[in-house]
Amino acid sequence: MAYELNGKTFEADEEGYLVDISAWNEDLAVLIAEDENIEMSDDAWEVVNFLREYYEEYQIAPAVRVLTKAIKKKLGADKGNSKYLYELFPYGPAKQACKIAGLPKPTGCI
Amino acid sequence: MLSTIFAVLFYLATAIFVVGLAYRIRLYATTPAPLKIPTTPAPVTRSGVVARLFREVAFFESLFNSNKWTWLFGWVFHFAMLLVVLRHLRYFTEPVWFWVNWVQPFGKYAGFAMLAGLLALWGRRFLVERVRYISGPSDHLMLVLLIGIAGSGLMMKYVAHTDIVALKAFSLGLIHFNWQPLPADPVLLVHLGLVLVLAFVFPFSKLLHAPGVFFSPSRNQVDNPREKRHLAPWAAALDGDRSQGGSE
Amino acid sequence: MADFDTLKINPLFEIPALEKGAMKDLSPFVAAPNHQEDLGFPGELVDDWQTKAIEKFGELLKKSRALRVYMDGCVKCGACTDKCHYFLGTADPINMPVARQDLLRKIYRRYFTFAGKYFPKLVGAEDLTREVLDEWYSYYHQCSQCRRCSVFCPYGLDTAEISMAAREIMDHVGKGQKYCNEILGKVHKIGNNLGLPEPALIDTLEGLEEDIEEETGVEVKLPVNQKGADILLVTPSADFFAEPHVDGLIGYAKVFHQAGVSWTLSSYASEAANFAMFIGSYEQMKKVAERIRKAAEDLAVKRIIFGECGHAWRVAYSFMNTLAGPFDFLDPAYPVPQHICEFTLDLIEKGELNLDKSANDHMTLTFHDSCNVARGSRMGPTPGGQFEIPRAIVRAVCNNFVDMAADTIHESTFCCGGGGGLLTDDLMEIRVKGASPRMTALQEVVEEHGVTHMVAICAICKSQFSKVMPKYGIGMDRIVSLHQLVSNAIILDGQIGTEPDEETETDTSEDVATA
Ligand code: SF4
Ligand code: SF4
Repeated sequence: MAYELNGKTFEADEEGYLVDISAWNEDLAVLIAEDENIEMSDDAWEVVNFLREYYEEYQIAPAVRVLTKAIKKKLGADKGNSKYLYELFPYGPAKQACKIAGLPKPTGCI
Repeated sequence: MLSTIFAVLFYLATAIFVVGLAYRIRLYATTPAPLKIPTTPAPVTRSGVVARLFREVAFFESLFNSNKWTWLFGWVFHFAMLLVVLRHLRYFTEPVWFWVNWVQPFGKYAGFAMLAGLLALWGRRFLVERVRYISGPSDHLMLVLLIGIAGSGLMMKYVAHTDIVALKAFSLGLIHFNWQPLPADPVLLVHLGLVLVLAFVFPFSKLLHAPGVFFSPSRNQVDNPREKRHLAPWAAALDGDRSQGGSE
Repeated sequence: MADFDTLKINPLFEIPALEKGAMKDLSPFVAAPNHQEDLGFPGELVDDWQTKAIEKFGELLKKSRALRVYMDGCVKCGACTDKCHYFLGTADPINMPVARQDLLRKIYRRYFTFAGKYFPKLVGAEDLTREVLDEWYSYYHQCSQCRRCSVFCPYGLDTAEISMAAREIMDHVGKGQKYCNEILGKVHKIGNNLGLPEPALIDTLEGLEEDIEEETGVEVKLPVNQKGADILLVTPSADFFAEPHVDGLIGYAKVFHQAGVSWTLSSYASEAANFAMFIGSYEQMKKVAERIRKAAEDLAVKRIIFGECGHAWRVAYSFMNTLAGPFDFLDPAYPVPQHICEFTLDLIEKGELNLDKSANDHMTLTFHDSCNVARGSRMGPTPGGQFEIPRAIVRAVCNNFVDMAADTIHESTFCCGGGGGLLTDDLMEIRVKGASPRMTALQEVVEEHGVTHMVAICAICKSQFSKVMPKYGIGMDRIVSLHQLVSNAIILDGQIGTEPDEETETDTSEDVATA
């Protein structure tokens, strides 16, 4: 599949993950999120931005614990837990937020 | 003429049955099993495996745990058939072995049990939707064949007696290459004809489950992979590249 | 993907009436050319795929007695027809094990048997057409290779072996499955299924060390690449990444710490899983297993212990000695490899762990036997140890434990629905439907015994349940790791606040209620 934005086409795999990570931009993130029925609140952006930073450093999305800890630091204890993350990204923070962040899908037994 | 045809067919059927089966068994025995795949919990010793196979063959243990009706019908059919076959040894032995004589009274009734089991198994192929779905023409035909054999046998025993003295002379004649005439009794000819068909198709059909059960790795392997390295010859050849990873 | 309704649990479980073709349109994403080529398979369906497929089939028949005997041995007795969770959940007749086998058997008969060559109609032999290949692709990816059918077949016919062979043939003609093959590529390149590189692994583990210290006040280490450690721990990479897996990993670390043994993870072999089993490739499976051998050699350890992972334990216990043995360079006093449960129970029995069972009093537990552990491996010296040992641990660390119905546990256990390379979103429908027998059994003990949580010792089971349980109205956090329970109960030497603790892993559970 592919995303269309401002007359440009962004190629994605069968499940909607961007093929070219570097092609990502914030408008595209909003578009992908719309596809997933997710509204990009400030908190959702915090998550997405953290994912991108972490990916930049480690070439992988952070583990759920790493993510919750980071969000706890940024947004406080009441939001730094997987329950809240699932509220933001009902299909799972790892997979859904990665898609919106333009990162490849984490694979494996998860 | 008729006797000659039957005599020839009997030799042919025996040859195909023996050679075909031996070929198949050899194939099973010589094909390697690359991995340890016993369905666990499995015995941890050879003698445990022998016991497991014995329970499978004598009591149909797995089938018992699986489906009580199929087990009942299947077990009754198989063991009745065993008795019937043993009883038939009296046509091929002279003097008749003493234990074959013991079997006679049981074997007589076993014929009915065998037929009943077969009919019940066949009934399942029509009445149970799932079993109907998986039954192909050959599955039905195989049952028809066995039912025909059992039915014609019972006919001769209880309805239209055949000349068993002459029959025995014929069968002993086959064994000793001293051919005797076969009684031209239509029921007997049907009975023998169907048995011949059975012998012909055995090595090419699902009846191979009989030797197959002894070669099924999920049942005949010992559960000891940590203690003993199991290695198939073709797999051993792949070990050659090990040295690169080497232990230094 | 998640667009079928919440499924009702069928309280009196019934064998469904057949619905032909119910699942024929479901098949997983096909592997991209690069996923295929990374494993040495053709990138896409080759032109002469029929010839190639038959050739490969013939080769496998020569190499595997199981395949040969299973192709001939079925009598169509029907004993297996109601034993597969995917059939029970979908009613599609091809999901009956014997019908699934027949997809391959009809080709076997046509090309490799006398009867099928000359009387194809009579014995149900068919030509290998594109339709057949598509059917293979669809239905051999609706089998989790759980071996439940093999338990009940009078000849032990194992559909798992047959679907492995079918997948191997498909890989060789260029029609592989994306999920498995992409992951295997990552194992070769990066060392684990996730694609978690060493720096990320180290960062994640350091985070966990902080968490444990914060919680207990004890400095518990999770070492990586520590040369000369006694024990190499090989665990599924999901243990580093996902929940509730990671709570299990913390449990292993605490147990090792308390036992006072030196241990290490390896970043080179940072994965217990061996998906090559799912695709039926001996060569790939060997390659993946050799990594563990090499890690053990390089780190000069004395023992290898596996973490909670079902199929990995089957490969480790049943195949590793064959694939990468002999392990004569390890300490012969211990079995190679050992399961973490064997290790933990041994310590418990020796009284070396200080356990406070009441730490798990907020839960009533039941245990899910993972199929590969239950039917493809063992723990301990006696048959059935794979059932008793994990349960003995649960009982030692919890006060409330209840088993599910007898015909759904031990060797009769129902697969979680996500095993065998099916744990991928594109197969969500079969995953949810295939979980229904297990969900039914679980619901029964929830209602009758007030069970609140189910324990598992398999990464796939844990992930699968946390995804599909909500479809049955059960909270996703109702699945826990066995060593998570151990972690809750264990009191480390010098641990602060030995009163029952408020664990991080339990504080999310309160409001996600069971329906
Ligand atoms: S139980 Fe075994 S023999 Fe019976 S139909 Fe199933 S696979 Fe065939
Ligand atoms: S191995 Fe398991 S999933 Fe496959 S057919 Fe048998 S019961 Fe079904």
